[in-house]
Amino acid sequence: MARAPKTFQVTIRNSGQTIAGAADRTILQAAIAAGIDYPYACATGNCATCISKLEDGKVSLLPHADAALGKVQLKSGLTLACRARPRSDVTINWLARTSS
Amino acid sequence: MAIPFDVAARRARACKTFLEQVHSTTAAEGINPSTLHAIKLKLVAFAKRADLFPLADFAMPVAQGRNHPLLVEDNDGHGLYLTIGLPGKEAAPHDHGIWCANAAISGRERHVFYRRTDDGRESRRATVVKVGEVVVEPGTGIVMADHDIHSTEVVGDQPAVGLSLYGYALTRFPSVTWFHPEFRSVRATPSRRHAA
Repeated sequence: MARAPKTFQVTIRNSGQTIAGAADRTILQAAIAAGIDYPYACATGNCATCISKLEDGKVSLLPHADAALGKVQLKSGLTLACRARPRSDVTINWLARTSS
Repeated sequence: MAIPFDVAARRARACKTFLEQVHSTTAAEGINPSTLHAIKLKLVAFAKRADLFPLADFAMPVAQGRNHPLLVEDNDGHGLYLTIGLPGKEAAPHDHGIWCANAAISGRERHVFYRRTDDGRESRRATVVKVGEVVVEPGTGIVMADHDIHSTEVVGDQPAVGLSLYGYALTRFPSVTWFHPEFRSVRATPSRRHAA
């Protein structure tokens, strides 16, 4: 029998909510499923609408475009919610002023 | 002793000639299905000239996808790019708002085509259905009209390297509309048409 993916606590600072984030789903997918109006557009790592500050915790990133998230941004703690899967409990804060 | 012929200079000249040919086609007949098809065939032929596009001249993506401008025309002109996508790189279904053509130099990229099925009345909600699929590999290409919808995914274990020609340069793109069947949603990125 297939084992259920590990689940972590994902705290979204902007909405003040903490939701469950499965290790095989992106933070954006978890947020939308939880009814949170997370800003996004492409949802596939191309446009950076969902660019966010990873304030705490670890994520793994799915493929994305250089133009959406560069090395320097990554180093400074930015991530793409549409590409980031939680690898621990995380706290994240989207940078867009309003949802799209 | 012969002076080595500079590939970059040859490439620049060839790109200029290529775009002149595109303009010559569209100036006479405008943009329509027939001229778009002709543009695709020209782009596929251009992409076969591997000597002009040695990978060593183009940095690989740091992440998974990168566009290298080859020739970007001023104002409302076209943009010709060499694109590199690493395996797994994907883009959700989207409508560029402007025509485009792609042709492969190496590697394989799957394009899935969709049709929007809702009436557009509900804000930020949309549904799409798949209407076709093609894998673009060397010797092949695709062309799309302004509001055609496609998704892309680099398949296989090699980078997909290709040429992309857009009606407008990427820096002056209209709003791109993104569809998400999983969420039954639609979102748009802001237009860059106001950009200088």
